[in-house]
Amino acid sequence: MPFISKDWRSPGEVWVKTEEGWEKKKILECCNFLLGQQDDLLTRYSVSDHCDEQKPENVEKWNEDENTEEKENKNSINHYKHPRTKYNSESQYDGVIQPHCHITIKCTKEIAGFNGLSEALKRLDFRSAVHDGRRFHYICKLLDLLVSHRLNALSGCAQRVLFNIIEEVARQVSQSQQNKHMLDRLLGQLRQVVEFACWGRPLGSTILWEQHLNTINRIHEIADRIEIRPPSDNKEPQFEQLPEECVREVLLRLADHQDLERSAHAWGVMARLVDELRIWRELCQFHFSPRQIQSVIDNSPNTSEDWQLIYHKLRKCYGLREEYAEMIQLCRNCRCLFWHSIGHPCIADTDPNFMEKLEDVDKSSLYVPIPPQAFLKFFSL
Amino acid sequence: MPMIKLQSSDGEVFQVDFEIAKASVTIKTMVEDLGLEEEDEEIVPLPNVNAGILKKVIQWATYHKDDPPPPEDDEGREKRTDDISSWDADFLKVDQGTLFELILAANYLDIKGLLDVTCKTVANMIKGKTPEEIRKTFNIKNDFTAAEEDQVRKENEWCEEK
Repeated sequence: MPFISKDWRSPGEVWVKTEEGWEKKKILECCNFLLGQQDDLLTRYSVSDHCDEQKPENVEKWNEDENTEEKENKNSINHYKHPRTKYNSESQYDGVIQPHCHITIKCTKEIAGFNGLSEALKRLDFRSAVHDGRRFHYICKLLDLLVSHRLNALSGCAQRVLFNIIEEVARQVSQSQQNKHMLDRLLGQLRQVVEFACWGRPLGSTILWEQHLNTINRIHEIADRIEIRPPSDNKEPQFEQLPEECVREVLLRLADHQDLERSAHAWGVMARLVDELRIWRELCQFHFSPRQIQSVIDNSPNTSEDWQLIYHKLRKCYGLREEYAEMIQLCRNCRCLFWHSIGHPCIADTDPNFMEKLEDVDKSSLYVPIPPQAFLKFFSL
Repeated sequence: MPMIKLQSSDGEVFQVDFEIAKASVTIKTMVEDLGLEEEDEEIVPLPNVNAGILKKVIQWATYHKDDPPPPEDDEGREKRTDDISSWDADFLKVDQGTLFELILAANYLDIKGLLDVTCKTVANMIKGKTPEEIRKTFNIKNDFTAAEEDQVRKENEWCEEK
């Protein structure tokens, strides 16, 4: 007997076709996909729905209530081109759903504890976040972990998203002429994964890996074209004309001994400044606790004033500190991952009962920073 | 709001809110030493800063006028070069000459926040680059002899091995 009454079951996900394949509409809404800013650097999407009647609709329709679901099935969003845009601040998200991703933390009989990495990377809009200096290092570390340890464990979709993010990293490095070493490291690891694969080729669909290899080749092309440009104008003052106190201030902001040593090789003035005790003492104080420093000084009394030597001993003993200007955070209220500077639509802001409960609670304690290693633990890899 | 007049090296006078001008320890000290009152018409001369750069410094100080002072106990703050706000990053998308002039101005005017963010921007231009790339980035002439370069390399290797 045919089912003739209204179907009260969940209408399911609406899928939309993009240049990168079929995509859940919800995920696209979470990205900055709806922002109409122009940016030729970044990938443009061509959106066409999966329905028969191809009738153009306004993009704003995507944010309407679920009771327009039937109408949506009849009409479609046809050939809208939207750029993926860069944004760095909250204000640029006005009118758009902030990138966030709800996750399952515990498995129960009712809820399977599965979180898809590809969906999370899209919902958190990593591809655009690459262009924000505060988030760049966090994302690079995450990519580093995924490429070096987990690439073969990822789904085809997650691999595709991963390579697209790496391509965006390459574009950002090319544009900014900074952090080329991070891109080189990622590419080195990618090369290893591809070259030392199982049975002569990476595991997985041949067609999919053909696409991946095309993307990898594109990334290599971008990387090969990156050339350090000298300053276009010879406008004074030049770096060499800065007084030593200013050059010292610059060197004091380098947190990696290798950068200091390479600077010393570049110019005599910097070599002289890098030899100063203050540079290495402050480097020690940044990376290590007073107790750690004291323990090394106590164990080798003859090095008590040689801070460069103390630093290298500490580095070998304890490793270096990893810090990120911005990390993904987990909201304890709604089990949601989000970028701290952008925020997220939280249950606590919409439910009055919830707000009452949280009146005496320190809001900042509800948000837990998630380092890159911990981020990956939420996903079934 | 009390205002103060600042005169650049090329004679241009800028009228600035005193609270904003106080971001500069140099200006604050000069005003206190000169004993200027709110209604005084006296001009504070800044012989080391030209009009174009002073205008940018005032723009930066105006935007950051309500910033809380950085915590004293945060020793590692200056080594975090990726924490430049998006506004500052856009503000510092200038040619190298202007960037270095801003460093000189921040140093002379003693504006800690501006010196910090400009030096971080330059530090980011050094990060991860080889000595040759650093020279190319800043148009630095190699002032090492082959023997000196070898000496520096050996010193670094010795330190890392120990």
